[in-house]
Amino acid sequence: MIRHLIGLLVLLVAGLVYPWIFPSALTVGVTILLFAGWATAWDILGGWAGQVSLGHASFVGIGAYFVAIGATEYALAPWWSILMAIAVAALLSLAWGRLTFKLHGPYFTLSTIAIAEILRLIAINEDWLTGGATGVFIDWMPTPFGIDLFAREAQYYLALVFAVGVMATIIWISRSRFGYQLRAVREDENSAMAAGIDPTRTKLKAFMLSASLTAVGGGIYGMMLSFLEPHILFYLLLSVQIALTGIIGGRGTIWGPLVGAVLLVSAGEIFRTSFAEANLLIYGILILLVILFLPSGIIGEFNRRLTRRLYARRAQG
Amino acid sequence: MPDALKAEGITVRFGGVVAVDNVSLSLQPKGILGLIGPNGAGKTTLFNAVTGFVPMDSGKVRFFDRDVSSEPPYKRAQAGMGRTFQTERPFEELTVLENVLVSAFLKEPRRKDAEKLAMEMLKRVELDDRYDQPAGDLNLARRRRLELAKALAIQPRVLFLDEVMAGLNPPALREMIGLVRRLSQEGLAILMVEHIMEAIIELSDHVIVLASGQKIAEGTPQEVTSNTQVIEAYLGTE
Repeated sequence: MIRHLIGLLVLLVAGLVYPWIFPSALTVGVTILLFAGWATAWDILGGWAGQVSLGHASFVGIGAYFVAIGATEYALAPWWSILMAIAVAALLSLAWGRLTFKLHGPYFTLSTIAIAEILRLIAINEDWLTGGATGVFIDWMPTPFGIDLFAREAQYYLALVFAVGVMATIIWISRSRFGYQLRAVREDENSAMAAGIDPTRTKLKAFMLSASLTAVGGGIYGMMLSFLEPHILFYLLLSVQIALTGIIGGRGTIWGPLVGAVLLVSAGEIFRTSFAEANLLIYGILILLVILFLPSGIIGEFNRRLTRRLYARRAQG
Repeated sequence: MPDALKAEGITVRFGGVVAVDNVSLSLQPKGILGLIGPNGAGKTTLFNAVTGFVPMDSGKVRFFDRDVSSEPPYKRAQAGMGRTFQTERPFEELTVLENVLVSAFLKEPRRKDAEKLAMEMLKRVELDDRYDQPAGDLNLARRRRLELAKALAIQPRVLFLDEVMAGLNPPALREMIGLVRRLSQEGLAILMVEHIMEAIIELSDHVIVLASGQKIAEGTPQEVTSNTQVIEAYLGTE
């Protein structure tokens, strides 16, 4: 626990120092922080509860679109529209989970792709709701305390608060009763029921929390893009990137998603600038290597070994 | 005082096969009821129907003064049915203590209290020295004891043991028999499904014999083991 809180403090300090060291790489910084937050939020459902979703772009889209439509159509400040997005994401995931949690393993995952695709088609075709395929351009933002929310720096600090907040949530969950209910459901639903745990209810709670937090990051992402297109924001590719970030870092671990985000975003950035067309190839090879040699993810594998080493040391000494 | 458990007319069908056919049983508070029978007799199916893990086609289950017939397994666990699994399935990635913690959280929502309770249960099954070992690394005998600690940590009113003796070597078997007896002496009612006659005869005060889904005999261990029908069911007829 103390270990993790110190880690969180280190992250916060590193996050505050980053803009001074890399003032020209703020966009990369925002991307890393958003992916760290999204992947950590995704992992509540995908890792801790063991229900791999490939539909989380939907919640990013909801967050981003609420901020955009709220600002352009209703002159609504983003904090209000993000609150609304949280409520909508929670309700949507509740209905979504009720519909799909009867399915297990890969079948659940496939169903998340299907529902996310339906939502994407709605976002593209319902012009009155989203502005349709042509997209929405955010042309106004409030300026609280004179802060320009269009400035990359302001967005960076918002993303930092988001990432640290989501990570603090998962640190708390990992120690709590809810965290153990999640792990039990992931490992074996029958054993979980024998311990008095309602698996469906537990998964629904995980999904709702995961979706709401993802939507918050989506709202910040919307400000950063300022021009939103439904076929990008609701697209499967984004869902896959979020899931991969969590999987490569280590599902069901506190630090895995952050490590995954730093690795994948910065690798993507470096490869794009230095290898041009070969960048996706190298990106793919990197993912393959991790999955082949570290099947529990980077931090997942580290934790497994650490637990065994700690036990062995205590048992001998 | 009502029976700890009273099941009436339990019938479970799998497709056209009647796995359990109109079986009734009752368990006194503090009693040990043994459920025996040859392979495929329907023991485990009956056990699972009573604990809610297999849906019944007909029948009623009363748990103390509560009708739990239509309640899902986790509600029955909340009401105080603590069970083990025949194919013991620890949460492999969690440590031994965390495995028990999952159950302990049922009655103790605060981490500190739950951890204390879990540790007490590990002491009861003599597994406390391995509290921080990954549960997937335990051998069979220890996995069995872990199963027991998990069932105990929900602080059950009745303990359901599904073949906790199977596959144990003689010293481990003796230990397990001693452990179950201690739990019974501490006041827990126990229903045990068992293959190993030695354990059933030594522990149970009442035995039900199943064959092909039907109850073929019932009584004290001595009565049951001298029953010709039971001997036939186990050894076959010439």
